Amino acid sequence: MSKRYNFAAVLSAVVLICCGALILNQNVNAAGEGKITGTVKLDGPAPHMKGIDMGKDPYCAKAHANDPAHLETYVVGADGGLANVVVYISEGLSGSAAAESSATEPVFDQKNCMYTPHVLGLTVEQKFKVTTSDQTTHNIHPLPNPMTGNIPWNQSQPPGAAPVEKSWKAPEMIPVQCNIHPWMHGWFAVVKGPHATSDTKGTYTISNVPAGNYTVTAWQEAAGTQTQKVTVAAGGAGSANFTFKPK
Amino acid sequence: MQRNNLRKWSLLLGAVAIVALPMPSWAQLTKYDLESRMGVESHVGNITGHAKAAKADYRRYCVVCHGELGDGNGESFPWIDPKPRDFQLGVFKCRSTPTGTLPTDQDLFDTLARGLDRSNMPQWSTFTKQQRADLVAWVKHFSPRWTNEKPGTPITIPPEPEVTPERIKAGRDVFARVQCWKCHGVLGQANGPSAATLTDDLGRPIAAYNFTEGARPKCGDTDRDIYRIFMTGLDGTPMPSFADNIKPDEAWDLVFYLRTLMSQNSKEKAMAKQLGLKPVDPNAPAGQQ
Amino acid sequence: MRLSSHSRLRDVSYFGSLVLIAVFVMLACSPRANALPAFARKYGLRCSACHESWPMLNYFGQKFKDNGYQLMNDRDAPIWQSPGYWPVTFRMVSMWHRVSTGKVLVDTYSPGLTDPTGVAIQRITTSGFDLSGLDLHTGGTLDKNISFFLLPSSDPAGSFHFETVMARLDNLFGSPWLNIKLGKFELDNLLSEKRPLTLTGNGGIYQLYHFIPVGDGNIFGQIGDNQLGAELMGHSWNDRTRYSAALLSSNDGTTQLPYGNAYSGFFTASQAFDTGKAGVQRIGFYAMIGQAPTTWRTSGGATGFLPGAAIGNKSFSREGFVGQFYFGQHVDLQVVTQHGQDSAWFGQGYGDLIDGVATLNNTTGTVLPAGSRSPSWNGVLFEPHYIYSPQLIFIGRYETIRMSQQSTPGTPSNLGNISSYTLAFRYNPFMTSRAGFAWHNEYNWLHQDGTGPSLGLTSTNVNTSEVMTGFDFDF
Repeated sequence: MSKRYNFAAVLSAVVLICCGALILNQNVNAAGEGKITGTVKLDGPAPHMKGIDMGKDPYCAKAHANDPAHLETYVVGADGGLANVVVYISEGLSGSAAAESSATEPVFDQKNCMYTPHVLGLTVEQKFKVTTSDQTTHNIHPLPNPMTGNIPWNQSQPPGAAPVEKSWKAPEMIPVQCNIHPWMHGWFAVVKGPHATSDTKGTYTISNVPAGNYTVTAWQEAAGTQTQKVTVAAGGAGSANFTFKPK
Repeated sequence: MQRNNLRKWSLLLGAVAIVALPMPSWAQLTKYDLESRMGVESHVGNITGHAKAAKADYRRYCVVCHGELGDGNGESFPWIDPKPRDFQLGVFKCRSTPTGTLPTDQDLFDTLARGLDRSNMPQWSTFTKQQRADLVAWVKHFSPRWTNEKPGTPITIPPEPEVTPERIKAGRDVFARVQCWKCHGVLGQANGPSAATLTDDLGRPIAAYNFTEGARPKCGDTDRDIYRIFMTGLDGTPMPSFADNIKPDEAWDLVFYLRTLMSQNSKEKAMAKQLGLKPVDPNAPAGQQ
Repeated sequence: MRLSSHSRLRDVSYFGSLVLIAVFVMLACSPRANALPAFARKYGLRCSACHESWPMLNYFGQKFKDNGYQLMNDRDAPIWQSPGYWPVTFRMVSMWHRVSTGKVLVDTYSPGLTDPTGVAIQRITTSGFDLSGLDLHTGGTLDKNISFFLLPSSDPAGSFHFETVMARLDNLFGSPWLNIKLGKFELDNLLSEKRPLTLTGNGGIYQLYHFIPVGDGNIFGQIGDNQLGAELMGHSWNDRTRYSAALLSSNDGTTQLPYGNAYSGFFTASQAFDTGKAGVQRIGFYAMIGQAPTTWRTSGGATGFLPGAAIGNKSFSREGFVGQFYFGQHVDLQVVTQHGQDSAWFGQGYGDLIDGVATLNNTTGTVLPAGSRSPSWNGVLFEPHYIYSPQLIFIGRYETIRMSQQSTPGTPSNLGNISSYTLAFRYNPFMTSRAGFAWHNEYNWLHQDGTGPSLGLTSTNVNTSEVMTGFDFDF
């Protein structure tokens, strides 16, 4: 055997071992998917959210005649639960798990001149729909940083318009606005892998989490981010609770 | 099997490498990054533009506003409004392509000679076509988007139909339905209820186009230009694309109606006068103009 | 820095010393060039956007000027400017130069005697530090499509005159083909002598634009001088095609109508071609055809000239081709040709007043000397540029003018012929939209046939050279 063949043999062996390990690892992951749950709270009293004067558009004003609209920077439940916090796995996911995009097609609705939901969590390349339930024209105008690979666009949606179907190329917290109704502000929270958005009680559940050690990040549009280490056993549940201080 | 796994392995390594790279913040390409992109070309008609050939012209004519790095941060940046375009973002107002896509080389080529009205961007119409093509390539070399994406497919503009009073009336209905007046005002005076709060993508105040001042629309003043403007939107500004909500035939109607708002004399204006066309009623419920 | 009416050279015997005086008179005049940081500040553009190298315009700058100092972006009217903006530019040159005139008639003295005892021909060389005059440019728009330009210009001693005063109605009926200007302005010379890349006494002007045959009395045909008149000018949207037709008073730009009721016309048109990688090439022609008086009506004696009352109009003409040729991004060549012709009356010295005195007056019964002819001549100018970068430019120029017919038969056929060579470079250490600063270096050598002083009967040729280095700045 020449030296070259020797080298090739060793290399193939190493590659084989590595690949084997990889496949085994994946098999284990696939075997039992766990979840991460927890509650997000706001420390202290809920900040005052300014009311929105929708007087410039009679349709919007009328829709909120009996239910005045407020800014949604902090949406706090009765017991301090903080809504609209996106919790996602920022470290520890295998490449394939991170690359997986969710097959569901969530909806971002423009209703009563507000965004529902206020924050829409998405994975990279996940398709979503922008719809309008309003009898007034909106323009849906996300403002990503083009340097990330996400490209800004701006489309109008007059009453009865068909949904706009889109997706994002890179993880980024993307603000979205309507220029016609300047109070309308929302977010597309684009992350890699499993994620969840807290409800008005502040609770969240990230499902389909493979077993492993992770760093979990919670992002709130104004208060910023917090991280925690979480361990998920195969088929088990990890837990991470977050408390934000209003800024 | 071994080969398949090898591929998987390298893909994984690649993915890790990409994740591990620091995320670039807004407009942060360095001179070094740009040096490596000098080979960018543009193709306009049968002319091929070369980025490298435009280096001297960019320095002579453009750098004062758009900056050495093409980030719009040239020495005149603080003093002019609207602010110079940041080429690194690869987002352009005047396109023949749908919103959210790159413009074609021809679009940039045309913008260079047309200039941008009501901004400090002059009409560089004295350049040779070759110079303009070279500068287009140069503009492209500032943004990695041109490496990663192809320009959008230009929208199809059907041949312009004959203007009729019916079409002008129909155009008025489109104007009412998609609520152009929210920003542009019922008379096109840029005084709609949302006009005062408009901001561009970087949060800077921006004015809606005033049809009545006699100024040219930003991206050209032919009928086709106006058609293109509202069907592609002006990316980076509050002006959205109406491509999904206005049918091509209706779009021509709207073009004709918009002409009646402009201060310049036109066939459309005369017809509207004859019709006694009234401005749209902002308080009418949707669909009941 | 150009031949004024008072430095016109007439008498051969005094020619050498007059040349020397003329050089100083030329230096005394200001550079007059239009390179306006006031415009750069208004639009946030660098000098290099409008100037090949300031003050010389490039095609974009030419279009800006043709549009009435407007970018045509609907932001040209002063109403869009900060109220604090005042469109004024100062320009001046500080320098060192050395002028050497080959032949000057100088008195000689004998020991112990206070009065000169003879004359000799000598070379006179002068060197030292000096200033140009001050140019106070102000120009721009009064409103959208109404533009103006005002240029009070001084000599180095601070004595001012109005070099340019004009208002212009731009884009009449919305058409770039119709623009009307009224006032005192530069003729539409493609190769503008008001924006020369050279500054010395003889090199800072185009000889072709001011040529007057020896002994000729016609000062009115100087296409390089700003003239009083009205101009109709137009151009295509991209400025590739342009024309200008101007009606001028035959006063050579002097106000208060010192001469008679005579007019001249200046016509020019040019077409530019996009030749791909080489650049844009432009060719055109110009013609100045006019009349000027030769007869001075007087009141109260032969020297009681009545201003504006001169009659006896005689004609003159100047015409030629202009070419601007570009060879890629670094090299270009500017070419101007001229054929000039004056009426025999001018050729014999009738026309302008010299220091307020008409030495020759075409009064009733005056006849020209037998055999007098119309003087005519041909000239050509080549000016190549090497533009290393917008901040460094090398300039060369060769000009020659050859008499083809002398007014007086028997006059040496080459009398008054001129050859001029100029070499220069200008370096701008910085390039901003706020101010201009150039380190200017130049050498000029001018040769003139038969105009040197002579101790015998034969005339001699005279060579004048000048070298200068200076700071040319404006803000």
